[in-house]
Amino acid sequence: MIQKTSPEIGGFGHSVKRKEDLRFIQGKGNYLDDVRLPGMVYGHMVRSPYAHARVIAIRTEEAKKLPGVLAVITGEDLAKAGLAWMPTLFHDKQMVLATGKVLFQSQEVAFVVAEDQYTAADAAELVEVDYEELPVLVDPHKSTDADAPILREDREEKSNHIFHWEVGDRDATEQKMKSAPVTAKLKAFFPRCHPAPLETCGCVMDFNSSTGKLTAWMTSQAPHAHRTVFALVAGIPEQNIRVIAPDIGGGFGNKVPVYPGYVCAAVAALTIGRPVKWVETRSENLQSTGFARDYHMEAELASDKEGHMSALRVKVLADHGAFNATAQPTKFPAGLFSICTGSYDFSSAFCEVDGVYTNKAPGGVAYRCSFRVTEAAYLIERAMDVLAQELKMDPAELRRRNFIPPDKFPYLCPLGWNYDSGNYEGALNLALEKIGYTELRQEQAEKRKKGELMGIGISSFTEIVGAGPSHTFDILGIKMFDSAELRVHPTGKAIMRMGTKSQGQGHETTYAQIVAQELGIPASDVVIEEGDTDTAPYGLGTYASRSTPTSGAAAALASRKVRDKARKIAAHLLEVSEEDLEWEPGKFSVKGAPGKSKTIQEIAFAAYTNFPEGMEPGLEAVNYYDPPNLTFPFGTYVAVVDIDKGTGEVKVRKFVAIDDCGNIINPMIVEGQVHGGLTEGLAIAFMQEISYDESGNIQGGTFMDYLVPTAIETPHWETGHTCTPSPHHPFGAKGVGESPNVGSPAAFVNAVVDALSHLGVKHIDMPLSPWKIWQILKEKGVAE
Amino acid sequence: MAIKIEKSFQVPEPADQVWKVISDPRSVGSCVPGARITEAVDEKTYKGVIKIKLGASVTDYKGEAHIERLDDQAQEIVMIGKGQDVRGKGGATMKLTAKVRALPEGGTEVATISELNVIGILAQMGSRMIQEVANQIFEEFTKNLRRQLAPKVSENAADQPPEETKPIDAGSLAVSASIRAIGRIFKGDSKE
Repeated sequence: MIQKTSPEIGGFGHSVKRKEDLRFIQGKGNYLDDVRLPGMVYGHMVRSPYAHARVIAIRTEEAKKLPGVLAVITGEDLAKAGLAWMPTLFHDKQMVLATGKVLFQSQEVAFVVAEDQYTAADAAELVEVDYEELPVLVDPHKSTDADAPILREDREEKSNHIFHWEVGDRDATEQKMKSAPVTAKLKAFFPRCHPAPLETCGCVMDFNSSTGKLTAWMTSQAPHAHRTVFALVAGIPEQNIRVIAPDIGGGFGNKVPVYPGYVCAAVAALTIGRPVKWVETRSENLQSTGFARDYHMEAELASDKEGHMSALRVKVLADHGAFNATAQPTKFPAGLFSICTGSYDFSSAFCEVDGVYTNKAPGGVAYRCSFRVTEAAYLIERAMDVLAQELKMDPAELRRRNFIPPDKFPYLCPLGWNYDSGNYEGALNLALEKIGYTELRQEQAEKRKKGELMGIGISSFTEIVGAGPSHTFDILGIKMFDSAELRVHPTGKAIMRMGTKSQGQGHETTYAQIVAQELGIPASDVVIEEGDTDTAPYGLGTYASRSTPTSGAAAALASRKVRDKARKIAAHLLEVSEEDLEWEPGKFSVKGAPGKSKTIQEIAFAAYTNFPEGMEPGLEAVNYYDPPNLTFPFGTYVAVVDIDKGTGEVKVRKFVAIDDCGNIINPMIVEGQVHGGLTEGLAIAFMQEISYDESGNIQGGTFMDYLVPTAIETPHWETGHTCTPSPHHPFGAKGVGESPNVGSPAAFVNAVVDALSHLGVKHIDMPLSPWKIWQILKEKGVAE
Repeated sequence: MAIKIEKSFQVPEPADQVWKVISDPRSVGSCVPGARITEAVDEKTYKGVIKIKLGASVTDYKGEAHIERLDDQAQEIVMIGKGQDVRGKGGATMKLTAKVRALPEGGTEVATISELNVIGILAQMGSRMIQEVANQIFEEFTKNLRRQLAPKVSENAADQPPEETKPIDAGSLAVSASIRAIGRIFKGDSKE
C-alpha cells in the first residue's frame, strides 16, 4: 500500500498542479524557435518534387548570387566529408542530402544558409535541379514483384525486401487453425499517419572553434542518444558535443529520429563559423519526418463454437518507405508488435512480419505507442469483433471467456512476453457498468427496428511499455536503462536531473512528486531538470511510455539511497541507533518517543554542517535503473456512436475509458494524458491518413488534408480506473501516456462496424470518413 | 497523379481549316493558357514553357512537345508534352489525342483525350481539385482556339505578333474549382 502524504508534501495520489504550466500558458516557455544566438543565420531545405528520380545536375549559382546567402550545401559537398549518408536508428542508412537519386517526394536535396530565414527560403527556390524520372513504387504489395524497380541501389542486396521476422509456433498454430470448428479472418490496413506535434522539428547548431565544442539545441526526445549518434557519425569527441533539448511542444515519437536538417545545420555551423538555425515548416514536418503505422495486417482466430479461442495467426506487410528509419529497439524489427495476443489466453500463436521499401518518406516511429503496439492492439481487438460476429456472440462475452485470468499472472504468452499483472475482467465490468451496456444494447435493438444506425464498440487492450530490460532491449547497442540524479541542498530543497525528456507530459511535476513521496520533501521544493546532456545523467529519453517505468523508478531508488543516508544522519543527530528510528514521509522519529524526531530538512542541513565523523558530506544519489521486465498497462474502452444516414457522419455519443496503469502519481495528469491520447485516437480512426497517389505524390501533406481534431470534433471523455500495481516496479506504476492512443482506435471502428453489422458489414479500414461511410450506406441501400 | 479527360467541342468552321490549326503545334500551343512555344527543335519537336501561378509565386514549367503521330488523312494528332520546373515545384506530362471530324450539317467537331500526369506541389492538391482545374484550363483552351479560328477566315493570324503570355493562376482556378465542386454536390451530382 502506498502511504498517503499530506497535500503540502504532495506525494502520490495528489493532483498537484503542473509546475511547468505557468510558463507555458504565459507564453514564457523556451522552445527551439525561441533560441536566438548572436550572429545566428538560417537554413532552408531544398526538397524533391519527385518520388523516384535520378538527380542529373544541381545548379546553385543563382541561389548563391542572392544577397544574404552564405552557402548552398549539396549531397556532393557532404560526400567529400563522408557525411552524405547517415545511419538510421535501425540497421540501415539514410541520405542526408540526395546523391545520385531521390527516393521519396520531399526528400532533402540541398541546404541553403542565409542571413535571415526569408532570404534562405527565397534562395532555395533559386536552386535548380534536373531530374530524370524513374518508375515509382508506391504499393508495398508490389515491392517484391519481378518487374518492381529496385529502389536502393546502394545496398548489396538488390531487393526491396528489408526483413522477415517471425515469432511463435508456426506448426502448432497451423494445426489448431485446421482443426478449429470456427475460424475468423480479418484483413485490416492501419494507414500511414503522422504524430503531427504542435511544434515541428528543428535545431540551432553552434560550433565554437576556440573550444572545439558543438552546442546543439534540438527538438529531441532522446538528447543523450542523439549526442552519441552525433559523436559516431560526425567524429566529434563526445565530450565536445552538448545537446540541449529545450521545452518541446509535443513529440509523440516524431522527435526520436535524427533528421537530415540537424546534420546539415551542424555542417553549416562548422563551415560558416556562425550559429545556424533550421526549423521545419508544417508541410515539411508532415511530408518528410517520422510517420507511424502503415501496416497491412491479417489476423486469423481459431475458436470452438462457444467462443473459447485456441490460436492466433498474424501476418503483416510493413511499408517502411525509402529508408528503414523505424525507431525500434535493435532486436525488434517490428517493435513490440508481438503483443498482438492482447488480453487473451491463447495456447498457440504465430506472428510474422515482412518489411519492404517503397518510394515514401522514411520513418515508422512509435507514435504515442510503445513500438507498434497500437497496430497490434487494433488488430486483435478488431479481430475479436469479427469472431464475435461470426459466432453471433456478444463481443463483451467473447472477451470475458478468453481473458487471461487474474490468478495466471505473471503470465508467459505464446509469443514470449511475460505479462506482469492484470485484471482484465475488472476493467471490462467497470466500463460496461459505467456506460450502461445492457440498456444500450436494448436501445440499439429498438433503433434498428426503426432503421436508425447506432453502434457500441469495445476494446479491452493490453499495452507493453517501459522498455526495457538490458538483456533484450537496446538502441544502437545502448541498453535501454534510464537514470535520475538527486541532489538535496542544505536547506532541504532539491534538484533532480533525469535521462528522460518531457515533451508536455508534466515531468517537472510528477518526478518531483516521486521525491515528495519517497523523502517527504514537498514537490514544490524539488526542481526537475532534463534535456541538457552536459548536466543530466545518461538516459535513453522519453517515448514508449517509458519515463515512469524507467526514470520514475530511478527517481524512487535514488530517493531511497538518500533516505538511507538520511537515516544514518538522523541516528547521529538523535543519538540513537538506526534500528530505533521509524520513517514517515518527511521525518525520522525515535520508536516509542514520537516527540523525538528530525525532519528531512534538518537532516539535509546536517549533511553539510554536522555529519557523523567518517561520513562523506553532502546528500545526493544517482540511480541508473535497468528494469527487470516491461510493464503491462491495460484497460477497456467503450464507444457509442450514431451514424447520420444522410451524410455518413459518425457522431461519438458517449465514450468511457477505464485504464489500469497501476499506482498513479498524479491523477489530474493521468486524466489529461488519457484525454489527449483519446483525441489523437479519434483523429486516427476518423480523420487522418497520409496517402500517396500512383506517382508517389503525398496526399495529406498539409493541414488542409491531414486533419487535426479541434474541440468541436472531440466528444466528451469519461474516464475511470482500476488499480493493479506492477509487482516489479519500485512503486507499482505502469505508465499511461500511450494507452488511450493504443486502445481507442479499435473501440471507434468496432462501434461503427457494430452499427452496420446487420447490413452485412464486417470491416471498414480507417479513417472512417463521412465519404467512406456514406458510400457504404449507399451500397447497402440505406443512405438517405 | 494520372487524370484522363475526354472532351469534345464544336466550331462552325470547316474541318480542313480547323485541322490546319490543330495540326500545328505552334497554334495549338498558343491556345493553351499560360503556354508558349519558344523553339522548334525539328518538324516534330518543339520547346516551350507554361507559366503557372500558385499564390505569390509564378512557376515556369519548361518542356518539350513532341508529335507522336500526325495523320492528315484521318485528321488525327497525338502529341506528348513534358514539362519540369527545375526550381523544385515538380512537373507534368500530357498525352493529347485530338481528332477533327466534319459534321454532316456543317461545322466541325474536335474530340480530344488528354491524359495528364502531374507530379510535385500541384499534385498534392489532390485529384479532384486537379481535375477541376484541368476542366477549366480546357474551357480556356477551347475559347482561345475559337478565337484563333475566327480571324483565319480573313487574315493570316500566324503573322500577328504573339501576345505576352499570361500565367495560369492555379490558385484562383482552384478556388473557383472548389466552388464549382461544392455547387455540384448540392445539385446532387456525385460523379467525379
